[in-house]
Amino acid sequence: MSPSAPITLIDYDAGNLASLEGALDRLGLDHRRATTPDLAADRGPIILPGVGHFESARRSLVERGWWGAIPSFVADGRPLLGICLGLQLLSEGSEEAPRTSGLGLIPGLVRRLGPGVKVPHMGWSRVTSHSAHPGLPDAEGGWLYFVHSYALEPGAGTVYVADHGRPFAAVEARGNVLGFQPHPEKSGAFGQHLLRSALAWMGAPATTPEASCN
Amino acid sequence: MPAKRVVPCLDVKQGRVVKGVQFQGLRDIGHPVELARRYDADGADELVFLDIAASLEQRGTRESWVREVAHELSIPFTVGGGVTKVEDARSLLRAGADKVAVNSAASLRPALVTELADAFGRQCVVAAVDVKRDAELGWRVYLKGGTEPTERSAKDWLWELNELGAGEILLTSMDRDGTGDGFDLDLLDWASELPIPLIASGGAGNERHFLDALHHGADAVLAATLFHENLLPIPRLKTYLADHGLSIRI
Repeated sequence: MSPSAPITLIDYDAGNLASLEGALDRLGLDHRRATTPDLAADRGPIILPGVGHFESARRSLVERGWWGAIPSFVADGRPLLGICLGLQLLSEGSEEAPRTSGLGLIPGLVRRLGPGVKVPHMGWSRVTSHSAHPGLPDAEGGWLYFVHSYALEPGAGTVYVADHGRPFAAVEARGNVLGFQPHPEKSGAFGQHLLRSALAWMGAPATTPEASCN
Repeated sequence: MPAKRVVPCLDVKQGRVVKGVQFQGLRDIGHPVELARRYDADGADELVFLDIAASLEQRGTRESWVREVAHELSIPFTVGGGVTKVEDARSLLRAGADKVAVNSAASLRPALVTELADAFGRQCVVAAVDVKRDAELGWRVYLKGGTEPTERSAKDWLWELNELGAGEILLTSMDRDGTGDGFDLDLLDWASELPIPLIASGGAGNERHFLDALHHGADAVLAATLFHENLLPIPRLKTYLADHGLSIRI
């Protein structure tokens, strides 16, 4: 029996859970979907994925009770990982939905990319380290896969930066909260490596089933 | 600027990857998951699956291989074929596809593109467009795999697709498709002025052709036979492109 709690994946119809689950399976990590906060594992990391429009995702989280629950989980010390729109929802707000606000768990506002570059920023870009983080390796110019039209400005909590017309926060951290603008689950071997490191830091079992034999 | 992408394209029929063989019809070359794994390991940046015989009764089969591919693949993938309404796209995206491609259905009912963009964001919407050179229109848009001419000029249609909400254009030159003579560079010259990413398709025969297409403004290059037959291994192509100064993920 594993002493670690499964990873909770927030299931709110705004994320590509199939790919994420595939990546977690390849890492040998236990996970479960939760449509409402009462279905979240009672401990262990929580992942907030996200694809689509800021406002419709926010509304969906509100309807399912997550909007109020996520800050409580974080206040209780639960590690939280936001991916793509998931990261943006953790910020203070986005130009995509100027009349609403974000969860405010990560400082800063999300702004539209461009002008002068193709938007959405879709494809592989290099990331470089901005500040050290205990859970993540040096970026070393690794390639990650991005699909987004908005991004967080780099700030004190930025771990990796990427560039598309201007520098933006690719990975952001604050306390027990981590946010990835790229999709590590879609970013080949380097993405898998980051996901494994981040989740190990968040308390998920660091070993794969194969490795547990030695 | 993101890296230039190398994109193998796989035609799927009834849950199997197939390849057209001249005068012989289609040959089965494997299960989507098998080929997906191989291309992922080879360093492909993304995959496009086109379901060439999509029909209502095969939707279940399709969702099941799409789900398997999503589970195995560590790179993004697009699925196209038979997407005529938002619900078709929703089932593919729920099964794990990153993007859906629309072609004829968008031409017959352009509002589909806007509906998809509104429902899922424009980054999920790939507009596939098949064109041929034409004395009257410059390049003419064709439907149904290049068999059915429309009255649309490719130039007008591409800009309209951008306005409608397409997030990316997959542009196939029917004149060049299958020839190995190289991409239609004149076509890419003007199409790359669009503010959304452009995937060039049709005509790749060697490394140089890919380099030319990328120099003529394509953001990504797509091919099928060259990769399936391993005539041009992806690692070799990517090294070549990187050695020629392009931004390539290696």
